Amino acid sequence: MSRRVMKRIVNPIIRHAVLLFLSVVWLVPIVWLVCTSFSDYPGINIRTFLPEGWTFKNYTLLFSDPDSVANFPKWFMNTFIIAIFTCLISSSFVLMVSYATSCMRFKMRKPLMNIAIILNLFPGFLTMIAIYFILKELNLTNSHLGLILVYAGSSGLGYLVAKGFFDTIPSSLRESARIEGASEDQIFLKIVIPMSKPIIVYTVINSFLAPWMDFVMAKLVLNSGLSKDWTVAIGLYNMLGKTLINSYFARFCAGGVLVSIPISVLFIIMQKFYVEGITGGAVKG
Amino acid sequence: MKSIKNFFCSIGRFFKDFGVAVVKGDIWVKLSLLIMGAGYFGRKQYVKGVLMTALQAVIIAFTVLFGLPYIGKFDTLGDVQRESVYDPALRKNVVNDYDHSFKILLFGLISIIVIIVAVVIWIRNVVSVRKLQVLAENGKHINTFREDVREFRNGKFHITLLSLPVSGIVCFTIVPLLVIILVAFTSYNKTHMPPAELFTWVGFDNFEKMFSSSLTTTFNYSFGKVLSWTLIWAVAATATTYIGGILLSMFLNNSKTKLPKMWRTFFVIAIAVPQFVSLLLVRNFFADMGIVNTICNNLGITDFLKEIGWVRSSLDHIPFLTDPTWAKFTIIIINIWVGVPYLMLIATGVLMNIPTDLTEAARIDGANGFQIFRKITMPYMLFVTGPYLVTQFVGNINNFNVIYLLTNDVYITLDQKLANSTATEVDLLVTWLFKLTQNDYNYNMASVIGIMVFIICAVFTLVAFNFMIKGDREEDFQ
Repeated sequence: MSRRVMKRIVNPIIRHAVLLFLSVVWLVPIVWLVCTSFSDYPGINIRTFLPEGWTFKNYTLLFSDPDSVANFPKWFMNTFIIAIFTCLISSSFVLMVSYATSCMRFKMRKPLMNIAIILNLFPGFLTMIAIYFILKELNLTNSHLGLILVYAGSSGLGYLVAKGFFDTIPSSLRESARIEGASEDQIFLKIVIPMSKPIIVYTVINSFLAPWMDFVMAKLVLNSGLSKDWTVAIGLYNMLGKTLINSYFARFCAGGVLVSIPISVLFIIMQKFYVEGITGGAVKG
Repeated sequence: MKSIKNFFCSIGRFFKDFGVAVVKGDIWVKLSLLIMGAGYFGRKQYVKGVLMTALQAVIIAFTVLFGLPYIGKFDTLGDVQRESVYDPALRKNVVNDYDHSFKILLFGLISIIVIIVAVVIWIRNVVSVRKLQVLAENGKHINTFREDVREFRNGKFHITLLSLPVSGIVCFTIVPLLVIILVAFTSYNKTHMPPAELFTWVGFDNFEKMFSSSLTTTFNYSFGKVLSWTLIWAVAATATTYIGGILLSMFLNNSKTKLPKMWRTFFVIAIAVPQFVSLLLVRNFFADMGIVNTICNNLGITDFLKEIGWVRSSLDHIPFLTDPTWAKFTIIIINIWVGVPYLMLIATGVLMNIPTDLTEAARIDGANGFQIFRKITMPYMLFVTGPYLVTQFVGNINNFNVIYLLTNDVYITLDQKLANSTATEVDLLVTWLFKLTQNDYNYNMASVIGIMVFIICAVFTLVAFNFMIKGDREEDFQ
């Protein structure tokens, strides 16, 4: 009797204690990020985990006092503009490619899809260097247009998740529309697109987030050293250089928190589509 | 095999159509061999005729004015060195009409692609003019221009949809890829930097340099070290996050766990923060003079590790990211922190889809929890996430962010042989490639590494997918 009681009481306690421990491990760096962003010591506090004095100064400094090192409002705007345009172009590319490969039948369909598989096997960094030179020849380095082109240009290759979604739309639907006399573009724009809200949300958020998360490509293209051109990622990375880290670390944390909030919200909205996309695509092969 | 056969058959058919069109075509078809629009004028499709002829004119103008000069120098990549001579008449330095090797490589390649595409268009044009001829001879209706345009919204809608994305892919993936593959066969590096210097073709010299040892270069040594760490890393990172993610999701989704959604959110928050923020933060967290070291010092862990010999006694800190062995260990641990929540999300999605009748039936037959996990849950997981596991492995071989953000500027190698070729013990092939281009302008060797990465990924993917198709057990789970 007492053993069963023990089992019923102790087991859940152990289970939730383990979970609590794991959550703490996963959240410690995030908590440290948030706490340090309120620290009144500008560098890295290595003596105590929590800051010794609390202040809002780091946030106000980010906005009120942009200098040559930290120009957060400008970075934010830059990234925002780049993200908007990237999002518009690459979402439409992805939807177009995935609809064509999923719902339409034409001779080049299979060969094109095979080429896409091979292209996806090349490491992205390989093309990066060549893209940089091409942009340089076109005078597009250090311009936001160049960066948008780079982000959006080959976005069509990431069509698989959306294709997996379009594959689930019954073909009888399109068939009946065709019998009613609808043309292919009407079927796409008036019937399939309005039905595909989840995958559109996923694609839009995904492509909107890419410029916020990317760091390498931006660093390569926007290499002028003028901080007003940068995106948030390069700007924040730059704050952690050896000579700057001791006066800017707290501000880096504040900036990190500010970028993370909108990104986290979008990411949490997106995560359920993320799962559907990957598992759905896998089952259909 | 079948697809390869199909491929060659369709190429054969393509040229056969062309031959038939030329032989059996009437005067308009033959004229359109010369002037592309001629065939359409003959069938009263004037707008199309004008457009086609204009396209032909543009292509010819492009080839003659722009393409040919570059193609002409493509075999040597230029031979006129840049020189700047003081011109007394103008009283300033004058630069001669020099060759820019990279421009010749890039624009020569683009011109060749344009010419190939133009030839294909030319052949298809003749074939379609012949089709018009057949239609006309049989007295069938020939589309007006307006009908042709409307066709792009209906029967040829896929062309409308695909043309922009595909040209984007051609410009921003295929052309750069070809350029970089070609660069691997040139002498493009620090001592051959255009515009000041020329570079040229060197055949397989760079590959030889990568794989043979000599006194001056240590690429061969570094390649071995970096490759083995890349593979160890890819296996370790994929395995730890996969197993960890599945265990965590089973733990979270167990009916005995209260508030599963709340717990899940905790883990998702950790990955929702952009990697460049979280990884840079963690790097300072584990720095030699970082907060973790302070805590370890205060708790006596540092002294304990010194005593058992894991930390050199001359150090007053644990070298989490500065000692080769420690750094590798720390990176894999940090990657578990980064990767497990993703796998947890995916595993959650898959676990929810496991047909409950399977597990239910097993339970009635008297299987215990572990047996169900081993015989049903695990095979099902492996089946569904198999392709994802392969992409995950390839992704880890190319996992630039984690390694670069954690170790760049922080980790300094003491191995002179590695340092000579800009590598470190913790570099992956891709980070090494990146450093070679950024710090050393060693473009040709970087391209060689890139090609090697592709070969490794391609071979692995092919083998893995073949294996999975052979072990195809789709029916077992349906």
